[in-house]
Amino acid sequence: MVVNAMTTVLEMQDVCKTFYGEGEVEIHANDHVNFTLKEGEIHALLGENGAGKTTLVMNLCREPDSGSILVGGENLRLKTPREAIEHGIGIAYQDLTKSLVERHSVAENILSLSKGFLLSIQAVEDAVTKAFTRFGFDKLDPKMKVWKLSGGEKQRVEILKALIIDPRILILDEPTSMLTPPEVENLFSLLESLKSEGKGIVIITHHLEEAIQISDRITVLRNGQVVSSLDEKKVAGMRKSPEEGRRELARLMVGKDTLYDLKRNPLKTGDLVLKVEDLTVNNDMGDQVVNNVSIEVRENQILGLAGIAGNGQRELLEAIVHWRQANSGKVILHGNEITNKSVSMIRNLGVSYIPENRKKGMVLDLSVRENLMISYYSESEGPFIDRDAMVELTDKLIERFAIDTPSPLTPMRSLSGGNKQKVVVARELSRRPKEDTGLLLIAENPTFGLDVATTGFVREELLKVRDSGAAVLLVSSDLTEIMTLSDEIAVIYKGEIIGKVSTEETTREAIGLMMGGVIPESTERGEVSQ
Amino acid sequence: MKLGKFEVVFKKRSKTLNFKEKLQIRILSLLMGFGVLALIFLAYGQNPLLLYFNIFSYAFFTVFGLLATLSRFIPLLLIAIGLAVPFRAKIDNIGAEGQFLMGAIAASGVAIFYGEGTSPWITIPIMFLAGFIAGAVWALPIAIFRVKSKFKGSDVVISFLLFFPAKFLIDYLITGPWRDPEGYGFPQSPLFPEPAQIFSFPGTRIHITIFLGLVATFLIYYFLTRARDGIPETKLGYEINVLGENPEAGEAVGMSFLKVAIITVLISGGLAGIAGVGEVAGNPNFYRLRPELSRFLGFTGIAVAWLGGLSPLGIILSALFFAGLLAGGVRIQASGLPVSVVDLFNGAILFFVLLTEFFLRNKVEWRTVT
Repeated sequence: MVVNAMTTVLEMQDVCKTFYGEGEVEIHANDHVNFTLKEGEIHALLGENGAGKTTLVMNLCREPDSGSILVGGENLRLKTPREAIEHGIGIAYQDLTKSLVERHSVAENILSLSKGFLLSIQAVEDAVTKAFTRFGFDKLDPKMKVWKLSGGEKQRVEILKALIIDPRILILDEPTSMLTPPEVENLFSLLESLKSEGKGIVIITHHLEEAIQISDRITVLRNGQVVSSLDEKKVAGMRKSPEEGRRELARLMVGKDTLYDLKRNPLKTGDLVLKVEDLTVNNDMGDQVVNNVSIEVRENQILGLAGIAGNGQRELLEAIVHWRQANSGKVILHGNEITNKSVSMIRNLGVSYIPENRKKGMVLDLSVRENLMISYYSESEGPFIDRDAMVELTDKLIERFAIDTPSPLTPMRSLSGGNKQKVVVARELSRRPKEDTGLLLIAENPTFGLDVATTGFVREELLKVRDSGAAVLLVSSDLTEIMTLSDEIAVIYKGEIIGKVSTEETTREAIGLMMGGVIPESTERGEVSQ
Repeated sequence: MKLGKFEVVFKKRSKTLNFKEKLQIRILSLLMGFGVLALIFLAYGQNPLLLYFNIFSYAFFTVFGLLATLSRFIPLLLIAIGLAVPFRAKIDNIGAEGQFLMGAIAASGVAIFYGEGTSPWITIPIMFLAGFIAGAVWALPIAIFRVKSKFKGSDVVISFLLFFPAKFLIDYLITGPWRDPEGYGFPQSPLFPEPAQIFSFPGTRIHITIFLGLVATFLIYYFLTRARDGIPETKLGYEINVLGENPEAGEAVGMSFLKVAIITVLISGGLAGIAGVGEVAGNPNFYRLRPELSRFLGFTGIAVAWLGGLSPLGIILSALFFAGLLAGGVRIQASGLPVSVVDLFNGAILFFVLLTEFFLRNKVEWRTVT
């Protein structure tokens, strides 16, 4: 579709936003980004997780560190969501647990309508009912409490929240993640009609197909920077040959990071360590996000689970170690079923976990030694701790993994980000199951936010532990990491394993495509023998 | 927060404070408390410095005063050292007063119905045991609500509310089934028989429960809080450290928060119960169940525990300090101020002690608004 004679409604110039993580980690979420949105267009923001898409649009309700934002030609610094609304910017946020108040009703959540001090909830309810009809959404009772709604219904409420103020600029941050295909169709035709009314629409997604199907222009972000901005002609071309378009976008999204000089020794895999059978798991909102997943990991093998974050990886891992209840299916470790058994029992059978959520892996206010011994202290007999053994062990780990700390008694908090992660890695990699069986190591984005040197170190250690007989289940949204380390790759998309390939027989682009939900013809769905 | 031209910012402290810095902050905020109170005393036309001097010289440097201080030290120490255990695991038991009263009730039951004509060597240990159990049982729901409830702060609410049934149970017992038939209608239980009276040093109100308090303090120090080479003696001590700082990380490696919560509240409830036993059966002012037993020592114990930095040695010192404040309170009255000023005094000190925890975690900065 060609839309003519358009003026720019939103322009972001040279926008920077930096976050500071634990330790001295600096994350340049937006690094000199330029972005424009025209009247009557749909502009897709595409990128991997952590590429800076959400950060970019959040600059419209939370000022950036530097750079300027022009809304309708006017230079503005918008500090709150309220100011964004006042300037005709409607935003449907991605994280519904934060943007919707579960205990309140649908209407009470749509306070974007409220003005002044007094507010008639009745008026909002009427407006909401009318809006559902006007935008062609399936009706919801505005009095219904939000926690009673399904994921898709919540998402509709969130979108309505942005639409109902009749904005000039509409921002949708991953609006389709919980919608069913017909709902997605509905939404897209609504967006088309809004576009013809002359509204500017930004849609954030990492589904390549959606981006090609709906948008006029596409901007691809990677590591906080714009890697490419595709104009109307280019996108129209992609719509004509979607297969090539997807390939192109996948390549842009994942990029070609320099590969670390790591060698994976060809090894014959050993005994079966972990077998997951038809596992289904819910997320925190009660929606099933892992659907009948089956995977196998053997000794001397790294299975890379590739996928864009939020496709059920975390829930799957958490169900394996029973941080989360599995609904159905089986988790079998060394032939013994461990589904929903106690965490300590599972760990004692020889399961290690490096969680992405650093908060779960370390205790910042305790010493390095106390953090290292957390996986070992329970091996002492009786109610006492074998102090000498712990001192010896922790000193050895600090030396062996070259953890840079003034003393074993230094609080974890004062270590650098890389050294903190080294503590977790050292601790989890050095565990040995009691019987002579292979350790199962689950590593969830183990190098996320680390500097180059530590990243290399951690990856080397993962390979070493594999060589020594462990079975490693590696989840990473970093394709380089997956490609370098894994012997086999499984791709998870919307809670399902949509492909399993041996690393030697695949390409970066093929995996990138599968991560976006496209199964290339060359790869059969299901197993590929090794 | 904006104050005219200035902007006050509260910032989380990024580094862990060392012992000296913590002590400085504690003392400074205590001085702030005395400073604010000084304004009130000035308003009454009193010289605050003289008053403070009087309070402490009486509480610690007169025989009478010191004995009074020590008699208050006993329950405060037991309550506070017990509270320190769940507090270290970030479980808020603010209902030690209720557990204290339940301990006293259990001991009174034993004394009244079993004590007559028995040997004190049997009766008194049974009273302590009954008191420990009663206090511990009264505290048990705190652990369950803290861990199982989705509602944050349910431990605070449940522990506080459990004080009231304990208080009303005493009122019921001493006006009903346990009322002293020879008590001229006073709401009180009969005097405990001699074998149920805990030995106290002649002429004082200092009973041998003080040794129980010191032993409990030592045991908690030795097994739970002391660290050599950065490692506590017991698994429980370590688990309390971990779960207190980051329960998610503890549970991630298979620690049971519920188990640790139950053990810690049982310890604190039990010790508060023992304090109740000592007070009702060891303090010669009582030897019987009376409404005056509830003097909110259980609440003061919270401040004692925090002022002591949740460490055993610190708690011994802060228990002495607060015992001295309570004992020296009579000097405030003696100088002609209304009785309620004593409560105001204790309350304000308590407030500033609890405020210390805020300053230990946050620092306050101000800058001019540009």
